[in-house]
Amino acid sequence: MTKNQAPSGLVHQYAPRRPKGRLAFHVFAGSVALVFLLPFVWMIYVSLQTPGVTLPRGFEGFSLPNAWHNYARIFEMLPLGRYLFNSFLVTGLAVPLTLITASWAGFALTQLSARWRRRLILVSVGALLAPLTALWLTHLVLFTWLGLINTYGALLAPALMGSNPLFVLLFYWAFRRIPVEIFESARLDGAGVWLTWRLIALPLVRPALLAIGVLTFLSYWSDFIHPLLYLKSQALYTLPLGLRQLQQLDQTQWPLLMAGAVVMTLPPVLLFLIVQHYFLQARWFSAIEH
Amino acid sequence: MAAPQRARPWLLLTHRQALGLMLLPYLLGLVGLIIIPALLALGLAFTQYDGLSLPRWTGWRNFTLLFADLRFWAALKNSLFFAGVAVPLRGLGALALALLLNPPRQGAGFYRAAIYLPTVIPDVAYALIWLWVFNPVYGPLNLLLINLGLPAPVWLVDPDLAKPALSLMSLFQIGEGFVIVLAGLQTIPREVLESAALDGSNRWQVVWHVILPLLTPWLALLTVRDLIMSLQNTFTPALIMTGGGPYYATLFLNHLAYEEAFDGFRFGQGAAILLLIVVISAALLGGLWVLIQRWGDQSDD
Repeated sequence: MTKNQAPSGLVHQYAPRRPKGRLAFHVFAGSVALVFLLPFVWMIYVSLQTPGVTLPRGFEGFSLPNAWHNYARIFEMLPLGRYLFNSFLVTGLAVPLTLITASWAGFALTQLSARWRRRLILVSVGALLAPLTALWLTHLVLFTWLGLINTYGALLAPALMGSNPLFVLLFYWAFRRIPVEIFESARLDGAGVWLTWRLIALPLVRPALLAIGVLTFLSYWSDFIHPLLYLKSQALYTLPLGLRQLQQLDQTQWPLLMAGAVVMTLPPVLLFLIVQHYFLQARWFSAIEH
Repeated sequence: MAAPQRARPWLLLTHRQALGLMLLPYLLGLVGLIIIPALLALGLAFTQYDGLSLPRWTGWRNFTLLFADLRFWAALKNSLFFAGVAVPLRGLGALALALLLNPPRQGAGFYRAAIYLPTVIPDVAYALIWLWVFNPVYGPLNLLLINLGLPAPVWLVDPDLAKPALSLMSLFQIGEGFVIVLAGLQTIPREVLESAALDGSNRWQVVWHVILPLLTPWLALLTVRDLIMSLQNTFTPALIMTGGGPYYATLFLNHLAYEEAFDGFRFGQGAAILLLIVVISAALLGGLWVLIQRWGDQSDD
């Protein structure tokens, strides 16, 4: 089905092939990549400086910092271990829930009649336009009624609906690339909707599953505003709130702040580095890999 | 069609019922967590509501109060600045980098990963990193400028520079748009490019006359999403780095709405601002639509 599409990279035509062109490409792309990596490197570099010591203002006398005790220090200043656990708990629940509900909805969309499918897609796209900030207002009231304030229920409620209409639409686009005959023959063989979803549809959209899983992980892991609005007791705080507390404790202890930032950034970066090969292939929508 | 009927022993659901059940969580959420709350918020814009006593209908009063509030006009200007300057630059950056790194060359995978990496950094941590980068005395940016013999501005403390500084840092979190353009480039059939190359067009002509028109839907998707996200959703960096200052120079509309509602308990006022944001984004999206149509017509010639 992908015959008329180049499987990957198709723009050889304007890619330089001469060695000189290749060198220019690497110099240019390399410097761009360096600029994008710099903030990350700075964060780690500063996190290992000895706090309280005036930071070097020139490049003379440069030596590798090694104040690893900064990391122990921030875990003593605040219950960051607890926050870290909470963040993993919320994200660990949200990701599978989202993947199940969003892929259910995306799959069901492919099976609906054209008229209902069109309507639902329109509503979903419209829902993407609703400002999140407007929803916080009424969610706060709604969750207070439901007694969900100060529980993870308030954070996880969106995961029960696929977290974001965008994820449902992404799943729909991925499932749509699977030839309809496959579903029809499965149905004739006696497989119900659930079996077809689990055994046929999901395995065929693994790239999309992975990509949406990563996006879900990132959005729950980084979420700052929702915990800020809904969580009252410190024992329930997630890492972003902890980092904010660290900043409010002492604005000027840069090494400690950066150590906190590293702790918060490391899990998503590791996850990204593990899956980046699949994630950046930009072939999330290709259903069937040959 | 007797066979499929027998094969469903454990739950006597018809195909349609099963589909409905699969859609149910999403539909419930869509209605309960998005549509009804959005409509309620719309209604709140015309009331006075402190979150405790019942909302009281006040008509257009929230809006007249807003239009008399200098903070509102400052926030409007800031949000439009971000939408007009940062959003197009972010789109151009994503487009240029995707064109550069789409061809399968040695090392391209590493460069793509490097470009995406800042997008993975959580907002709060990203804000703290850039708070340090922009630090006037110790920050690496000014350190570099001083060593180059250039003037070292105070960035986030300078009302004229705070907004450009926040826009600058947003230019490195463009992974999402980058991936969207990459996905768009993958859908262009190889033959189209080959025939363009046979015509003797050079690289820029291929990009301008062949690739860009074919990418239009993807670029539109990217811009729409970025406009909505930046106008309506993201203000964590400003909240953490500047608190909206100095002199409201980085106070964005959604941040103002947040302050009104959750710090000042003026939910009606907050909702009124949000309603205006929706109207403004709708107008901007409409303008974008017209631009795309025009551009499409031109490239047909």
